[in-house]
Amino acid sequence: MSTQPGQPPRRLPDIEATPFGDSALMLKVATADAEERQSGSRRLREILLDVRPHGLTDVVAGVDSLLVEFDCLAVSHGQLAQTIRLAVAGSGLEHTEPGRAAELFVIPMVVSDTYSPDLPAVAEELGISQEAVLGLLEESELSINLLASAMAPMMGAVRFPGQVSRCKEPRTNVDSGSVMVAGTSAIIQPFPGPSGWKVIGRTPLTVCDIRENPATSYRPGDRVRFRIVPASEWEHLEGQFLRPEGHQDPMTAPDSRKDH
Amino acid sequence: MGAAELAVGLKVREAGWLATFQDLGREHSEFMGVPCGGAADQHSAAVANILVGNRRTATCIEIMGGRFTFTPAAPILMALTGAPADVTVDGQAVSMWEPVCVPGGSRVMIANARGGMRNYLALSGSLVTGRFMGSAAPEARMGFPQQITAGQDLELGTRYRGFEHPYLSQPLFRLPVPVPAFSPGTWSIDIVEGPETEAAPGIRELLSSRAYTVTAKSNHVGLRLDGPVIHPEGLGEIVSHGVPIGAFEIPHGDELIILGRYRTLTAGYPIVAFATKASLPLLGQARPGQKMTFRWVSQDDAVERHREEQRQLQVLEDRVRNLFLAVDLPHAAASHAPEQTAA
Repeated sequence: MSTQPGQPPRRLPDIEATPFGDSALMLKVATADAEERQSGSRRLREILLDVRPHGLTDVVAGVDSLLVEFDCLAVSHGQLAQTIRLAVAGSGLEHTEPGRAAELFVIPMVVSDTYSPDLPAVAEELGISQEAVLGLLEESELSINLLASAMAPMMGAVRFPGQVSRCKEPRTNVDSGSVMVAGTSAIIQPFPGPSGWKVIGRTPLTVCDIRENPATSYRPGDRVRFRIVPASEWEHLEGQFLRPEGHQDPMTAPDSRKDH
Repeated sequence: MGAAELAVGLKVREAGWLATFQDLGREHSEFMGVPCGGAADQHSAAVANILVGNRRTATCIEIMGGRFTFTPAAPILMALTGAPADVTVDGQAVSMWEPVCVPGGSRVMIANARGGMRNYLALSGSLVTGRFMGSAAPEARMGFPQQITAGQDLELGTRYRGFEHPYLSQPLFRLPVPVPAFSPGTWSIDIVEGPETEAAPGIRELLSSRAYTVTAKSNHVGLRLDGPVIHPEGLGEIVSHGVPIGAFEIPHGDELIILGRYRTLTAGYPIVAFATKASLPLLGQARPGQKMTFRWVSQDDAVERHREEQRQLQVLEDRVRNLFLAVDLPHAAASHAPEQTAA
C-alpha cells in the first residue's frame, strides 16, 4: 500500500493460487490481514471481470477469496495463475475505484417477534440490548461484498462489538426478505430457502425478481443502510422492487418504462 | 437448406415424473450469484442436440423417470440419449443415440429408463421457451421452474420436412456416437486431490478402497453418499468460499456430498477431493442406491480424458454436419466454424 507515486510495483503481488479440481483455481491475497484479504479478493474479481483472461469461464466470490472457473482445454492452472498475477501487477490491487459510482440503498426493515426470532440471542451473544443491536445495524453504512446464492447481497461490516455466530441447526426454510447476520456481515434472503444465519428482521421489499432486467438493482461495491419501520408500513411497501436512492419511480417516469 | 422454419406443435400426453426444458446451463452467471445449472449429464444433452443437427447449447427436454409421451403435429427429427430406456414411435421400437425420423401425428413414447437417472430429448430446430440469464435451464429457487406438464402444448420451430429413405423406414446413418456404458454394477469415478485431503489422514486410502452408495437425499444440488469418511482435523472454522461442481465435501455428519450443477455457490465445509470434469456426466446419472468407487488420477490425466471426450464430440459433430448437408437435412451450423481462440 505504500508504493511510491509514479513507480510501478516492483514485484508480482503475492496471490495464492490453489487448484480446485481440474477446471478451477482458488485465489487468495497472501496477507495475514483479514480486511486486506477481503478488499483484495473484491479487487481481484473486478480485475478478472474486466480483463477476462483467456480460458476463464466464471468466478465465484467468497468472503476473502475468489474461485476462478476455467476451460481446462484452453489453459492450464499454471498458465492462468500467471496471467492473473500479471493482470494484477498491471492494475494494482490497492486501487479500488469502482467501474461505476456506488449506489446507495436504504432498505426498510420490520422488527417483530415473528420476523426477528434470533434478535434476543444476538443481543445476548453481543452482551448488549436488543435496541442497541438494531441501533448499530441502522448506524452502519454497509458495503455489498458479494452476491451470494440466488443473488443474495452479502454486506459488511455491521458495527457490532463482536462476532455473531451461526445457528447451531440451520433452518430449513427462511422467508424471503429476511434480514440476517453472522460475524459482522449481514445478508438478505432473496427467495425462501435454508439458511444458518441469524434472522433479526424482514424487509417487505422484493430484492431480487427475475422478471426485472437485471434481476437485482444492486451490485458488489454498492452501499446499504437499514431503516427500521413500523409494522404498519408493511402492507404499503410489500412486494415493491428494491431500487437505489434517487431512482425515479417508473410509474411516474413513463420514459424509463420497459416494454414488458 | 432453403426450407423456411415451420412452427410445429407438440402435444405432451404424459410428462414422466419430472420433465423440464433444459440446456447446457448459464454462462457468466456465477459471478452474479446464480449457479450455472443445466443438464446434469452434459455429455448426453450435447450428443442429443448434435445428433439432430442443432448447436450443443440448444434447448432440449430433460426427462426423469416414468413415461413421457407426445405427438407432433408435423414430421420432426428427434434423438434420445441418457439412461437406457424404451423408445417407440407408434408402438415400433426405435434406437436411442441416433437421429430418428418421426412422422407427423405419430405417438412417441419414452419409458422404462434403467441404469441411470435422466434422458435427454432433442428435436431438430428450436423449442419455444422462456430464458433466464440467456438459458432455458430451470432455476426453480429463483422462480424459473421450466417444468413440462401433461397436456401442455409445446412449440418447435423447425426446417425439417420429413426424410425419405429409398429402402428403409428409418435411415441407417452409422454415426460414431460415444455412448456411455451405464454398466449395471459399481461405477468408477475419477477424482483429483482437494485442499483438505492432507488434513484428513487416511481419506486417500479410504476413498480408493471402499464402495459408496448414493442415498435418496440426493438431488441436483448434490449427491449424498453413504460410506466411511474421515473428518479433517485442526482446520478451525473455514471461511465461506466458492465451490466448484464435483467438489467432495465432508459436512459435520458422517456422509460425503458431491456437489452438482445447482450447488450453493459458497460453502465452508472441508473438501477432500474433486471429481474430474470427464466424470461429471456419469455422476449426473447416479440414482439412489447406485454404488461407486473412486480412483485417484493426476490433474494431467484428468485434463487428457476430458480432451479425448471433447475430441469425440467434435468428430461426431463434423460427421453429422457433413452427412446432413449431403442429404439435405437442416443443420444449425451450416456455416459452423471451430470456436475462435483469442489472439
